[in-house]
Amino acid sequence: MYEFDWSSIPGALPFLWEGMKVSLEITACAVLFGIAWGTLLAMARLAAIKPLTWLAAGYVNLFRAIPLVMVLLWFFLIVPQVLRGVFNLSATTDVRLASALVGFALFEAAYYSEIIRAGIQSVPKGQVAAAAALGMTYAQAMRLVVLPQAFRNMVPLLLTQAIVLFQDTSLVYVSALADFFGVAYKVGDRDGRLVELLLFAGAVYFLICFAASQAVRHYQKKLNAHGAH
Amino acid sequence: MISIQNVSKHYGTFQVLTDCSTEVNKGEVIVVCGPSGSGKSTLIKCVNGLEPFQSGTITVDGVSVGDPKTNLSKLRSRVGMVFQHFELFPHMSITDNLTIAQVKVLGRSKDEATDKGLKLLDRVGLKAHAAKFPGQLSGGQQQRVAIARALAMDPICMLFDEPTSALDPEMINEVLDVMVELAQEGMTMMCVTHEMGFARKVANRIVFMDQGQIVEDDAKDAFFGNPRSERARQFLAKILTH
Ligand SMILES: Nc1ncnc2c1ncn2[C@@H]1O[C@H](COP(=O)(O)OP(=O)(O)OP(=O)(O)O)[C@@H](O)[C@H]1O
Ligand SMILES: [Mg+2]
Repeated sequence: MYEFDWSSIPGALPFLWEGMKVSLEITACAVLFGIAWGTLLAMARLAAIKPLTWLAAGYVNLFRAIPLVMVLLWFFLIVPQVLRGVFNLSATTDVRLASALVGFALFEAAYYSEIIRAGIQSVPKGQVAAAAALGMTYAQAMRLVVLPQAFRNMVPLLLTQAIVLFQDTSLVYVSALADFFGVAYKVGDRDGRLVELLLFAGAVYFLICFAASQAVRHYQKKLNAHGAH
Repeated sequence: MISIQNVSKHYGTFQVLTDCSTEVNKGEVIVVCGPSGSGKSTLIKCVNGLEPFQSGTITVDGVSVGDPKTNLSKLRSRVGMVFQHFELFPHMSITDNLTIAQVKVLGRSKDEATDKGLKLLDRVGLKAHAAKFPGQLSGGQQQRVAIARALAMDPICMLFDEPTSALDPEMINEVLDVMVELAQEGMTMMCVTHEMGFARKVANRIVFMDQGQIVEDDAKDAFFGNPRSERARQFLAKILTH
């Protein structure tokens, strides 16, 4: 029977906290970038210009059909080589981490763009017509009328996706980045207490994500109660 | 002011408008009516370029709507439009609804726009509601705000697409009263509506459409007195018994 020994956790808490900060930072960056790039992709997909629509659709379908871990490895291992060749970087410049993070954000943007596309489509067509009838350009109608309403409808979905994304950040351990999961793994490996550390890490992910989804649910209820106007 | 000449439009093989021609002179009020699906909304949306058309010409104040060189946004900012479902912006207060296009499209200052917006809001009898949101107003009130919003742009003419048909009966008159007043002040108006009381009171001419064609384009008295076509006669009989 396996004997649990949790004694290596208290001492590792400062490292784990550092790791958690990295995870949260990656999440925040990827959410912001994902929403910004995802919004552009969504608008491209809904645009009247056909080639733009095809490009955006191709991008989204490609990233949604590839496992995240592969995207991360490609961006960690292959893209830096290419960049080095193209930009003539010196061998000491390490772009692998930055590259992996960019890959992560590009991947998540594909998912965000689908949420945002649905959000834009949830705004009645008449709103665009009314904005246009007042003399607004397409860009003004989008920025002032459609997107604010779309985002208000989308907030719960965007937050839910952020929770998924937070869990996805654990995969960046393949790029040797010291995120929460990576740190937990290293500490466990070092002390020969991998089982305990991984159980602990799992419990922390569960608590954070469960609490966050409860908060989103609560928010959504409030939104539905108000939203009937 | 508005000149529509031989306009035709189709969606794929479906012909929505066939060779439509009519004229709205400065200060005139034209009522467009006809059965559901006859192309009234499509025609009025062609006037400010919300719907493209394949052949014919439409000019508004001398500007050709179908010309690819025309700055449509600029033209639309001078043509007011009121929709069946109001289309106020639900995420903005009534004041913001009235000012946003004045500021962003016409480049007016916030103060000037607010001043103008509130004056018009007062004119449609809703001054007390300036800080509310559209969802807090009744349908009739929302439509009056929508009219004020269009007027705030100082339009050279106004287009109405069934402005009262989504309203409860007891709210129809409050909107029609605003429209009658506007007509009496000399606004050039093209109104899709089945409110024949309104038409009798202020219209100069009645345009009757059926299956994408303008079947009648008569002075008001001629239309109500003795429409030439059988279809218009049937339509009138049906509408007046309601
Ligand atoms: N985007 C579209 N694609 C295909 N057909 C359309 C489209 N929009 C409208 N139509 C068709 O064009 C015809 C005219 O529509 P329109 O909305 O102009 O009629 P209407 O006279 O305003 O009717 P209503 O009184 O119901 O508002 C209808 O048969 C409609 O089904
Ligand atoms: Mg219609």
